[in-house]
Amino acid sequence: MEVITGTLVAPATYKRLAYLLTALVLGPVWFSALVAVWSVCVGLAITPFVIPALIVLAYMTRGFAALEAALARLLLDVDANAPVAVRSRPGFWGWLRGLFGPGFWRAQAYLLIRWFAGFPIAIAVITALAVSLATLAAPAWVPFVHGGVQLGIWRPHTFVQSLVGVPIGLLLLPVSVLIADALALPFGPPASSLLRPDSDAVTVAIPEGTARRRPPARPGQKLEVHAAVDAVLVAVPIVIWAVTAQGYFWPVWVALPLATALAIHAWFVLLAERPSVVAHFRGSRMLAASTGIGVALATFLTAIWAITARGYFWPVWPMLGIAIVLAIELLAVLLLSPRRAELTERIETLETTRAGAVDVQETELRRIERDLHDGAQARLVALGMSLGMAEQKLTDDPERAGELLAEARLDAEHALKELRDLARGIHPPVLADRGLEAALDSLASSTPLRVVVSVHVAPRPAPAVESAAYFVAAEALANAAKHARARQVDIRIARLGDTLELEVRDDGDGGANPDGAGLQGLRRRVEALDGSLTVISPRGGPTTIRAELPCA
Amino acid sequence: MRVVIAEDLVLLRDGLTRLLRDNDIEVAAAVSDGEALVREVVARRPDLAIVDIRLPPSFQDEGLRAALEARRRVPDLAVLVVSQYVEHTYAQELLADGRGGVGYLLKDRVMHVADFLEAVRRVAGGGTALDPDVVAQLFSRHREDGPLERLTPRELEVLSLMAEGRSNAGIADSLVLTVGAVEKHVQSILSKLDLPQSPTDHRRVLAVLAYLQRAH
Repeated sequence: MEVITGTLVAPATYKRLAYLLTALVLGPVWFSALVAVWSVCVGLAITPFVIPALIVLAYMTRGFAALEAALARLLLDVDANAPVAVRSRPGFWGWLRGLFGPGFWRAQAYLLIRWFAGFPIAIAVITALAVSLATLAAPAWVPFVHGGVQLGIWRPHTFVQSLVGVPIGLLLLPVSVLIADALALPFGPPASSLLRPDSDAVTVAIPEGTARRRPPARPGQKLEVHAAVDAVLVAVPIVIWAVTAQGYFWPVWVALPLATALAIHAWFVLLAERPSVVAHFRGSRMLAASTGIGVALATFLTAIWAITARGYFWPVWPMLGIAIVLAIELLAVLLLSPRRAELTERIETLETTRAGAVDVQETELRRIERDLHDGAQARLVALGMSLGMAEQKLTDDPERAGELLAEARLDAEHALKELRDLARGIHPPVLADRGLEAALDSLASSTPLRVVVSVHVAPRPAPAVESAAYFVAAEALANAAKHARARQVDIRIARLGDTLELEVRDDGDGGANPDGAGLQGLRRRVEALDGSLTVISPRGGPTTIRAELPCA
Repeated sequence: MRVVIAEDLVLLRDGLTRLLRDNDIEVAAAVSDGEALVREVVARRPDLAIVDIRLPPSFQDEGLRAALEARRRVPDLAVLVVSQYVEHTYAQELLADGRGGVGYLLKDRVMHVADFLEAVRRVAGGGTALDPDVVAQLFSRHREDGPLERLTPRELEVLSLMAEGRSNAGIADSLVLTVGAVEKHVQSILSKLDLPQSPTDHRRVLAVLAYLQRAH
């Protein structure tokens, strides 16, 4: 009892009631607008004019969904948002494809639900409310109607007779409100699950935890509640029908839309809990969902046809529309599947190149540690020893002490030079300060080879790209001097659009091993930046090393 | 002589200050960033600024830019840039205005105290001091079949000392030759490389560097 009175006094109940009644206007508007624009799209399907029509459709759907989402937030108190375009690729086609993301199709589904389920329910609710109010107010108007008014099984004529309507109306009104409330509740879950931006857009924009305000319930649990509510909702009119005139079985009009909504809900739950079902739809959740909705709607329409006049099988037209939508989706899935394969491949590439980058780093760190240990550290030990010995000899053999001090200074100079070379090998300072051209120029000055450098890279690429290009050139130069017995090396670096192209060509005797440690390290370094490295080194030469590095 | 030092590492700043003071050179100020350098130079008008290339906040070529700025504000300021590494690109930028009183040395050179002080005095007096490493970088651009091939090994030695900014007397000292012998070598080099006779040591350095910078 407390539950009932609580429901009756809660403002939320009347907000939900208002939400149901908005379908009276919005349902037909959504349906007729969507049917009209979809028809235009289908009609123009093979012409280029379909593109503006599709854009209109996308923006219209988004606009409608935004209004619906606002209503759902305001009146149903659920977390609903209009879908946003998710851009997976650059360019106009990427943008267009982004408009028709899963969010668009969910919004379509919800708008249709508002028509197919929302509108009949709204009619039923407003009728129930009108009847209750009319019964309640019977004494105010019945006496003025000549010949009395038939109210169900009862026909009052006078004021006194119609006073009976007051308690009945008083009973009917809250019952109507409770029924309306129960009918409005099932709109919450689809509103929040269908009216939302695509999940990846959400996780990018909002950190985990704030994206969802409500803890997620198990989908099946909600379905059970939904079914129970529906059962009550159907049972009530059947009982009313049974105790009243019987005859035409009108409760079927309550049962049909509810059953359709329940079937769609059940299908979504099935899809959520059994991923294997989705696999039958080429792995597309969207196609699976649409098929379920389509079948439910087709059944719904066929049932209407069967119950009503039969004759001309008019549901063939909406069914044709549904079939076209499904065909388009199937086509989209078939066309998008290669993209899935692309993604899988991309993930594999990333895994390999990341492992490569980690290896390169590990090898580098080990090399640096070894160089420090064998070079500068050893020099500093020697320097310390010279200083210690000079200290000993200072008083009795000043001449020897002077020699030792000179040795110590020499050791310090060598240590500094080794550290300087090591620093240059990690990251040459001039590369950061002045860019590739100055750095390669400096590199060229420090080799015995004749080096011709040509660099055209403005604007400067990212530091990682510059550094990779520098080390490819440095390694190639070192190889040319060490192994290929080259005399001249040409280094060309040019920026072509979003790609940095580097070519190092020597006049040596070739035969470089592309799987050797040095070139392998370079390849990993380049691949970690999504670039590619090619080594052409026939026996007898010449050797050409080419690298392409993306630098958008 | 009055000097301002800009070096961000306390150890090196204090060491350099002590080394200069021990040799009767007045250190008017020792600062740790480029902005302070320009401020002190403008306020104290020293004869020379000794500047580390890499200074905060960017730790790139902050010191070089500050030195050039200080020289723009106080045109008769001499600048000696020191660094853990040398690049001939920076030497070019320092020498670009064609005026004397510029030096560019590895920090290592401080260890040869006498040579370092000689370079400090030379730069403060309007001369040039380029690190042998910079000169070697410039030399390496010239290959076996270039005009440098026509020079004798002794002439090459003299040429690199000329490029470092040394006077004939300085070259004679360092190669253990007479000044007359050095003058003869210089004449021969200038005519072999088609370089003009220059009135000052600094002009001579610029001419030699300009020649070396043209890769053959």
